[in-house]
Amino acid sequence: MKTLLFLIPLYLLPLAVQSDVVLTILIFTFVLGILAIGFNIVFGGAGQLTMFHAAAFGIGSYVTFLSMLRFAIPFWLGFLVAVVIVIIVSIVIGWICFKFRLKEFYFAVVTLAFAELCRLVVLNWTSVTNGTLGMLVLEKPTIWIPGGGVVRIEQTVPWYFLTLICLTGVLIFSVLLTRSWIGRNFSAIRLNEDLAQTLGINTFRYKLLAFTISNVIAAFAGALYGFYTGYIEPSYLAVAQSLDAIAMVLLGGVSTILGPVVGALVLTSLPHLIELPAEMRVAVYGMILILVILLMRRGIVGLAAGLLKGRVNAA
Amino acid sequence: MLLKVENLTKRFGGLVAVSDVSFGIEKGEIIGIFGPNGSGKTTLLNLLAGLLPPTAGRVFWKGQDIAGARPNVIASMGVIKTFQNPQLFSELSVFEHVMIASFLAFTRMKDHSRLSSFLSPGRGEATLRTRAEKALTLCRLQDSLTKPAAELSYGEEKMLGVAMAMMCEPELLLLDEPASGLGNDEIQNLENVLRDLRAHGTTLCIIDHKVAFLAKFADQAIALQQGCKIAEGRPNDVLADPGVVKAYLGRSHHA
Repeated sequence: MKTLLFLIPLYLLPLAVQSDVVLTILIFTFVLGILAIGFNIVFGGAGQLTMFHAAAFGIGSYVTFLSMLRFAIPFWLGFLVAVVIVIIVSIVIGWICFKFRLKEFYFAVVTLAFAELCRLVVLNWTSVTNGTLGMLVLEKPTIWIPGGGVVRIEQTVPWYFLTLICLTGVLIFSVLLTRSWIGRNFSAIRLNEDLAQTLGINTFRYKLLAFTISNVIAAFAGALYGFYTGYIEPSYLAVAQSLDAIAMVLLGGVSTILGPVVGALVLTSLPHLIELPAEMRVAVYGMILILVILLMRRGIVGLAAGLLKGRVNAA
Repeated sequence: MLLKVENLTKRFGGLVAVSDVSFGIEKGEIIGIFGPNGSGKTTLLNLLAGLLPPTAGRVFWKGQDIAGARPNVIASMGVIKTFQNPQLFSELSVFEHVMIASFLAFTRMKDHSRLSSFLSPGRGEATLRTRAEKALTLCRLQDSLTKPAAELSYGEEKMLGVAMAMMCEPELLLLDEPASGLGNDEIQNLENVLRDLRAHGTTLCIIDHKVAFLAKFADQAIALQQGCKIAEGRPNDVLADPGVVKAYLGRSHHA
């Protein structure tokens, strides 16, 4: 839990920094960080290489928005509808994959196929989703503030705090999960599934649980993302979105608590920090990514933890 | 009768690894299964623990047919197996290993719900931690609690496997060659641990090709050769059985 203290300066940051650019980058960091935390639970926790998280992210944004329109309900209730749908979809897909004992790349390929299936449905179900054109989201989330009544989240600073609070919540959940019996059983499955079974752990059930939790978190990130950018399109469900989250987790540090957030920060801010022509920028960005992943096996957080430990040992 | 095996058979393609084996295990006894390498001992244990589905035959645990059930289901009923080559979660510490292994014990604790342990991880763990420390002390791993399991010696890895099995509170413990690869001192310690388990009412089923180790312990012995049961009874009687002598020495033994 102590590692979460790093969030305190972030709560104070808007007092010192008024730059819209900086706050916007951080908002994207928080939202994509939530997506990466979700992926880290199923991959870094239970060792299952899913490619479905972008689909869950997209379903989260589409279903939240569409159910708000259709049922005239607030954002949070719309998100609840998305959660129910994502849970059902996760259980069906997870059940199929885990019953057939799909592992590693087989699991990745089959979940990718299901994700593409979802993307094609969104793309072609034009009457509901408006197809390739996507949808403009003019609605905003509302929250109730004691003394202030119901407030619409519109400006950058309220969005900053809303997404930071959501990130904090998801991080606390992931710390509790990692330390609980569930988290312990997840690592048993990741490190030696056969042994986990002979110790009485129902590996099927726990893999399904990890997959579902991770998709619900991804859907949460998707809902925030769509409403923050004010635009929803089928590319939210695309492979590239899944790969981005994977890169964040690898870069920040797999199986670490803060890794996904650190990775999200680096990958969202890096393109803005490299002042080069666009085409050069992409190349440099890619190169940095490759080098970091090759040279730091446990990511930035793993490396930092190693350095800190080394210093303590030397002292 | 705790466990009853009826006409158990396992074929791998054309190879019959276990052929029509039947026997029973009474509560509290120690049963030794021995036979030369390749006689089907490990396959037999894997069938009992659910790691392999049998081709034919039935396994009754307290009267319930468990043949073909998943390993975690069989484990939760109280049948736990250790591995000949230690199976570990290598990057975790020794203590984390036994804590993962205490999952079944945890699910059997009734004084708190799993949800409450999620919200405050400390609850319910104190009892399990004490038990884990006790099991590790008994297995002489008390000085390596924080060591990653990957750094243990082979003998220590095997004892960690036994400690993990103990944490599962087995009613029947299936041990796959627990003494192989251990030094004399380590074997002595293993014997103490097994005596302690027995004193606490655990039924043991041990397979080994070292006859001397089993003969000291077992109440009942079964000899296997090429997947078939060739003798059964008191250990010394089984060892004196002409068929067993022939299987071990390749010819009948004229003293």
